[in-house]
Amino acid sequence: MFNFDWLSGVSQETAKMIFLSLYGVIGLLVLLLPTEYVYEGIAKEDRHWWNNLKLWSIAVLSILASIYYHF
Amino acid sequence: MLAGIDYFIVIAYIIGMLLLGLYFKKFVNSSEDYFLGGKSLPFWAIGMSIVVSDIGALDFVGVSGQAYRYGISVGNFDWVGSVPAMLLAAFIFIPYFWRGGMYTIPEYLGRRYNQKVRTIASVTWILFFALDLGVLFWASAVLLNVLMGWPIWISIISTAGVVGLYTYFGGITAVIMTDVVQFVIMFIGGFALVFLSLYEVGGWDNMVDKIATMGPEYRNHFDIIQPQDTKSPFPWTGILFGLTFVMANAYMIGNQSIVQRCLTAKNEWHAKASMIFGSALKMFIPILVLFPGLMAVVVHPGLADGDQALPMMIKSILPPGLVGLMFAAFFAGLMSSVDSLLNSTATLFTKDIYEPFIKKGADDKHYLKVGQITTLVLLVIGVATSPISSDFPGIYVAIQTFMSYFQGPIFAILLLGIFWKRTTEWGGLSALVIGIGFAIFLNVFKERFFTIEDPFLYISWWSFLLGFIINVTVSLLTKKHTEEQLQGLVFSSKILVKNKSL
Repeated sequence: MFNFDWLSGVSQETAKMIFLSLYGVIGLLVLLLPTEYVYEGIAKEDRHWWNNLKLWSIAVLSILASIYYHF
Repeated sequence: MLAGIDYFIVIAYIIGMLLLGLYFKKFVNSSEDYFLGGKSLPFWAIGMSIVVSDIGALDFVGVSGQAYRYGISVGNFDWVGSVPAMLLAAFIFIPYFWRGGMYTIPEYLGRRYNQKVRTIASVTWILFFALDLGVLFWASAVLLNVLMGWPIWISIISTAGVVGLYTYFGGITAVIMTDVVQFVIMFIGGFALVFLSLYEVGGWDNMVDKIATMGPEYRNHFDIIQPQDTKSPFPWTGILFGLTFVMANAYMIGNQSIVQRCLTAKNEWHAKASMIFGSALKMFIPILVLFPGLMAVVVHPGLADGDQALPMMIKSILPPGLVGLMFAAFFAGLMSSVDSLLNSTATLFTKDIYEPFIKKGADDKHYLKVGQITTLVLLVIGVATSPISSDFPGIYVAIQTFMSYFQGPIFAILLLGIFWKRTTEWGGLSALVIGIGFAIFLNVFKERFFTIEDPFLYISWWSFLLGFIINVTVSLLTKKHTEEQLQGLVFSSKILVKNKSL
């Protein structure tokens, strides 16, 4: 049990899909955050699209997913 | 061995760091300046600081060694082992800590649970950081010894002297701003080695082809996902359950040296952005620390000790001048890790132990002085305990072993503490004590329970799970906290839609 023997039948390809799905779920959750929340701390008149932390997060997750897809 | 120009670069770097660090002395007038940089720092400096502090000299040597032995799967630690956890920290945990004006993670645990939980968590981190200091010093000494033939103790004491001085005077502002320069030097030096090594092995594809023909033990060297029955310490089950779900979160959310940096941000946006920016930078780290180890498989096959891979590559690949730069990069990684540990441990001791138990209500200058003196005492402890790490087979695994004792239980109480109102002080306390005890038990009898070489990932998962279950069970059996006690400490969807309201 301690060694996760019950998952020994899962192939490496399936395991990779699990990781890629995880990134997809995280990305979805990030997109669901209210925009107002990700700008908190910046005055309304100073907000620009490049301050949108959702975009930063999605970009990082996309690169991460491409690494796992490739290797 | 270093040439004259290499010595010049290394010495110029060390003196430059010392002067830069000491420059920030003039900004330290209070304990808030010393521990939180006066809450004035920008996201980019904090993000760089998080990355360079986390990826220190230890990783240059240890991760290259692991990559030499096990291949690219060790990159999981900086990819899936960092990015998701940093996003969770950025959007959920950091805003709570930042808005709450906290100095330490145990301070949150103290408010959410009770003083005992705060003290146990703080003492545990202090012990870990003190041991970690020793490991870092030893890693530096081994590399300096291989590269330059310097006696190990001279290496340790000279490193401690430089870092100790600027951390003592400049506090966390000096730590973070020197980290920015150290980050740049680390990247330049690291990428110089990677590009020249790639040229030496005839390019990426050529390297992959050569390693593939070296025997069955290299069959999975380029698989980031390792099978469940691998003998390496990185089966995908351990990476998913132990690393991604527990250790990464515990490290990015519950680690004082990481979170304290975000608390120095000038506003909430900078605090969140620092973590996300850091996660983007983190993805480059495996290129710096992992690729040289992979390429060493081709250039220096058959090394008995994988931790020798990086020093051997530096000696055989880099020309004079670049050796000095790489050496400065190594120093940069080491210094950034040591200064972080010193400042964070001083913060933990001053805020969680000294202020509540030894001298309450003293003036602010007194606590500033205590923080500075603690920094010096820690430095001595770190130097004195450094030989311990020589008893462990792999430097990097040694540090993970220390961490696996308490990462799981601490993350269990942090997670339930912030997301579940029903969690009580007795639930948190029992989960912490029993969880840590269970992790130590599993580690002592690991040959009996585990089949992989070093099961620290599994230990962190199982100790997390037990801590979680204990916390839920005991909480349901004990008196729940009132709404007033939980104000501002438990996650509410209001934080997402209503500004400043927790």
